[in-house]
Amino acid sequence: MSGLPKKETNVLKGHEGAVLTARFNGDGNYCLTGGKDRTIRLWNPHRGIHIKTYKAHAREVRDVHVTSDNSKICSCGGDRQLFYWDVSSGRVIRKFRGHDSEVNAVKFNEYASVVVSAGYDRSLRAWDCRSHSIEPIQIIDTFMDSVMSVCLTKTEIIAGSVDGTVRTFDIRMGRELSDDLGQPVNCISLSNDGNCVLASCLDSTLRLLDRTTGELLQEYKGHTCKSFKMDCCLTNSDAHVIGGSEDGYLFIWDLVDASVVSKFRAHSSVVTSVSYHPKDDCMITASVDGSVRVWKA
Amino acid sequence: MATEDDDDFVFYGTPIEREEDTISRKRKSVAEASGQLRTVPAHKQEVRDEEGRRRFHGAFSGGFSAGYFNTVGSKEGWTPQTFTSSRKKRAEIIQQDVTTYLDEDEKAEMVGNSLGTSMQFDTFGFTAAEIARSQSEKEQNQRPSAIPGPAPDELIVPATDPIGVRLMLKMGWRRGQSIKSSKPNAHYDARREARKAFLALSEDAKAHAPDSKDAEDAIETAAELPIDDISQLPKSTPVYVLNPKQDMHGLGYDPFKGAPEFRENKRSHLPGNRESGHKRLQPKKDGLFSFKSINVAPGFGTGALEDLDVEDEDVYATGYEFEAFVEEVEEPSRLAIEDKKKPSVKEHGSLPGFKAATSSDNQLERFDPPVVPKDFVPRHKFPVTHEVNRKLTEVPPAEVPPPVDNKLKVLIEGVATLVARCGTVFEELSREKNQSNPLFDFLNGGNGHDYYKRKLWEAREKHNDKTKPFFNEKVIPSAQKMTAESRGNILGEKPLQRTVKDIKTDVPATEVVNLQFHLSDTFTEPLSFVEPTEITKPFQHDPAKQERFEQYLKEKYHGGLRTKDAGGSSKMSEAARARERLEFEAAAEAVTQRKWGKEGQSSSQQILGASAGRGLQFTSGGTENTQASLAEEVIKKSMFPKREEFQWRPASLLCKRFDLIDPYMGKPPPPPRFRSKLDSLISMPDYVKAAKEEEKTNLNKFSLTQADEQNGANVMDVEENVEVENVERPVDLYKAIFSDDSDDEEESTNTNQPNDPTTKIEVANTALTRIVAGDFLESLGKELGLEVPPDQPYPEKHAKPQPTRKETAQEIQQIHQEKREEIDSNAHKDIRGSKNDTAELDHEIEKKVTKVKRDKNPSEDERSHKRSKRHSRRSSSSDGDTSDSSDGYRDRHRSRHKERKKEHRKHSKHRKHRTHESSSRSRHSADKEYGDGKREKRRYRD
Repeated sequence: MSGLPKKETNVLKGHEGAVLTARFNGDGNYCLTGGKDRTIRLWNPHRGIHIKTYKAHAREVRDVHVTSDNSKICSCGGDRQLFYWDVSSGRVIRKFRGHDSEVNAVKFNEYASVVVSAGYDRSLRAWDCRSHSIEPIQIIDTFMDSVMSVCLTKTEIIAGSVDGTVRTFDIRMGRELSDDLGQPVNCISLSNDGNCVLASCLDSTLRLLDRTTGELLQEYKGHTCKSFKMDCCLTNSDAHVIGGSEDGYLFIWDLVDASVVSKFRAHSSVVTSVSYHPKDDCMITASVDGSVRVWKA
Repeated sequence: MATEDDDDFVFYGTPIEREEDTISRKRKSVAEASGQLRTVPAHKQEVRDEEGRRRFHGAFSGGFSAGYFNTVGSKEGWTPQTFTSSRKKRAEIIQQDVTTYLDEDEKAEMVGNSLGTSMQFDTFGFTAAEIARSQSEKEQNQRPSAIPGPAPDELIVPATDPIGVRLMLKMGWRRGQSIKSSKPNAHYDARREARKAFLALSEDAKAHAPDSKDAEDAIETAAELPIDDISQLPKSTPVYVLNPKQDMHGLGYDPFKGAPEFRENKRSHLPGNRESGHKRLQPKKDGLFSFKSINVAPGFGTGALEDLDVEDEDVYATGYEFEAFVEEVEEPSRLAIEDKKKPSVKEHGSLPGFKAATSSDNQLERFDPPVVPKDFVPRHKFPVTHEVNRKLTEVPPAEVPPPVDNKLKVLIEGVATLVARCGTVFEELSREKNQSNPLFDFLNGGNGHDYYKRKLWEAREKHNDKTKPFFNEKVIPSAQKMTAESRGNILGEKPLQRTVKDIKTDVPATEVVNLQFHLSDTFTEPLSFVEPTEITKPFQHDPAKQERFEQYLKEKYHGGLRTKDAGGSSKMSEAARARERLEFEAAAEAVTQRKWGKEGQSSSQQILGASAGRGLQFTSGGTENTQASLAEEVIKKSMFPKREEFQWRPASLLCKRFDLIDPYMGKPPPPPRFRSKLDSLISMPDYVKAAKEEEKTNLNKFSLTQADEQNGANVMDVEENVEVENVERPVDLYKAIFSDDSDDEEESTNTNQPNDPTTKIEVANTALTRIVAGDFLESLGKELGLEVPPDQPYPEKHAKPQPTRKETAQEIQQIHQEKREEIDSNAHKDIRGSKNDTAELDHEIEKKVTKVKRDKNPSEDERSHKRSKRHSRRSSSSDGDTSDSSDGYRDRHRSRHKERKKEHRKHSKHRKHRTHESSSRSRHSADKEYGDGKREKRRYRD
């Protein structure tokens, strides 16, 4: 068993107010954070350096994602629009307007040609980055409630919603699979092998679903997650499940037997976001207390 | 080179002009203006500005420059008016109104248009006053005075007299004269005196604020009245005498301007008001005032009021008071009484001018309190015995697992129940009795004593519940200490039906039952006494069997812990036992079902009556709850996650961006697809038919136009456009191929609509396209040596009615769309499938056609238009067939006997072709051939 990132190595401070999202970039050398102060910040988490600030959002930044080639950022937030940024210049290339309400999550697809956003307006929208069109390519509005989180694979769009469903839109097959968990889902995360999806439900439970069958494989409990949008993720080896808690604790469960392997106080307040390094045993956590912490094994 | 470079650049902005340039130009212009121009004829003269630039120039260099060169016609040009570039001198916010945007002359016009009373109708002199005021204001502005601001109203005298003054002047009144009747009126005086006296009586208590001005007016006139005589008309007193300025405010300043209501207050408090200059009138004042108030006659005191012109608002301000007084005058006694009666109402209820009603319809309805029965005792007494009290207050013994020995357990329970019922005496008795019996050790603190204690407590509890259920509710609020039965009794609720019945729909009931029993076995085994509440005896005729049944029940509810003396049915055969078991199961089911219907009241007796073994009917509430929640959880787990699958259609662009093949490529959009599929399944055996259907709907949908054959120009156009025409998809070809003669004819006769000139060209285009395609087909057919069967109309073609005509336009449209899509896909299929030679041929055709014509995307509508056109044209010209080339046709006909479809296609091609006489030779022959085909077809029909 490789070491779990339990040692705090850096604290990234700069955000004023709550940090709502923290994301590693594709290779894990940098990370992006977004928060209530309407800014997106680019950091080197390993050295603890703040590199750049991206300002344009009119409201809080709820989610941010960077392309695999590190050239573009997409972000979303309370101002109902998506911003498509150029990383180096820090300029907004395009703004995608269309969501009727706050946008909760955003993701690039593999080729960074499409941005998929999940909104409080119960819809998923896919936006084209290649053309100059600012109209969504497609609007998926089968959800019954706010869509909280979205994940993309090569062929699928997976989204979790407060209506308790995790919906998989298979583009190749042209079908929609809806897994009703019975509890509001506020975050979904794909396992690294792509076979499972981890859903954080608002009954303070993380649920691991088998993607192919829709079977519930395991439930992870112990933390508090009742009213905040909080991230969860799996480690690189898919051996452990990591999730924050509303009391500032960080929980690490064993994937198979759902036992709490580790539990430690990471922040003084709600842990809003957890992002795991794509290769190393390293993770960043963001919290309402305004700090972003870097953890290493 | 340099100039070329300059040409390539695009310049923005105005280049800075060098000074000498402008100067020289100026000089030149001056020179021109002075001498040169005179020599030039008028039409060659140019208008130039002082800078020497032409005033009139071409539109591309700015057009006519009115005054300012290439600007909006103002000095500032395009510079925004509100913008001032200086940092220190900020732009002032300009209050904009209409006049901002008006020219001087427009403004003058506006003034002329403004509405106002003409002098002629200036009854009250307001307009004149207004004009005078504005005039003075203007003057004020022009020559600033020591006192800033507008001149006070008092200083401005109205320029004209009001109509009243003028009238009075005409009647003989002169300025400065007071107004009164010219002859002394004794009668009037007397009446006034009487009224004075009367009012003095009635309203002495009223200490109202004297309306000084009016009062003074009245005083003035009244004071003068006695003095005057006929010959000597008195002068009216000027206002400043009556209203001396007593305050320290500036001239014209009115502290009460915004709040006239305070004016009265102020005056009443002025100390000098009463004394100054009116002392002689003081005693009379009240009476006079009232008198004045009563008689606000229009004519009276006008003269006095006239002078107060500017303050006439005061006259109205006192209006309310007048009314109040009037009322009091009318019925003073009544009011006095009412004052006493309803002081409170008077104080804050009544408005001036209103009085409170003596009787109101709005009576409060009263309801009597409910009648308490005589025998009602307000305190509830509980017939609680001492013992029960003790028991209830004492801490319940801890729950202990029952002894392993089932017999002992049963015994303990039985005893406990009995003891609870009969009191501790029974316990003593049995203890004595069974001193030696080791089974009864539990009575003396031996084996199972704890369990006995618990059971006893429970039984007592239950017993108490039976007698005083409501008492329990109060004393034991916590559900944990309550047994399920007691709680059930209290709440009158239906106990859980042993298993959660309502989940039956989701999960097989038996499964749940089993599950729950297993659960209870594993988790709550020691307390799982889900005993049958009531032992009805379904096997009364057979006591042994009944006993076995009871035993069965017990076992059942004990959850599989089978006792060794299993029902005493050892003598029975295995098969019989099995059968009996089934029977028991059914009976138990029936019993339990029945049980929940009626609450078992005599259960305790029954249990007691029966052999020992059935102690409690329910487990304690707590365990029941846990069981229920456990079960719930299990159910939830089994219910969620629920997977559902839907069809979802990704946008084609999305597929493209994800680098995937659109799973729905070429398929119609999902919502209509279901219908279309259904339709096709029901009524469309093949796509040919579908095509036909589509043709029909097309005809229905679009207005049919008849192509003008004789229009040579059109034909020319057609020929020109042939090369650009592009058949984007093979659909078009198919449509052309599958056109149906007979239907077309019918349609055309149905819809004889005027020509649509705009679509003609398109029609012609498509027609030619088809001709070309048809030629290809023909030549291909020849090359391949295919034998095409004689043209044969499809049997459905004629037999089939046309239901679509009856459908609404919308439906037709929809279906049309669907069909189109369907054909589309079919076409794809056909083309891809290389099994049949038709497909191959089609493919060939498609290729060639597209090779010849490209770069054009005829829209759907266009295409359909074309089609419809084609049909109509064809039908109209069908009669003028020629038959000269029938031989050639025959030959071909023979060679084509295999491919009916193809034949059909060709026909359509040729038909189209027919319309263009000016086409090439080959086309011409094909045209003739078409005519033959037509005839042939008709023959078949006959």
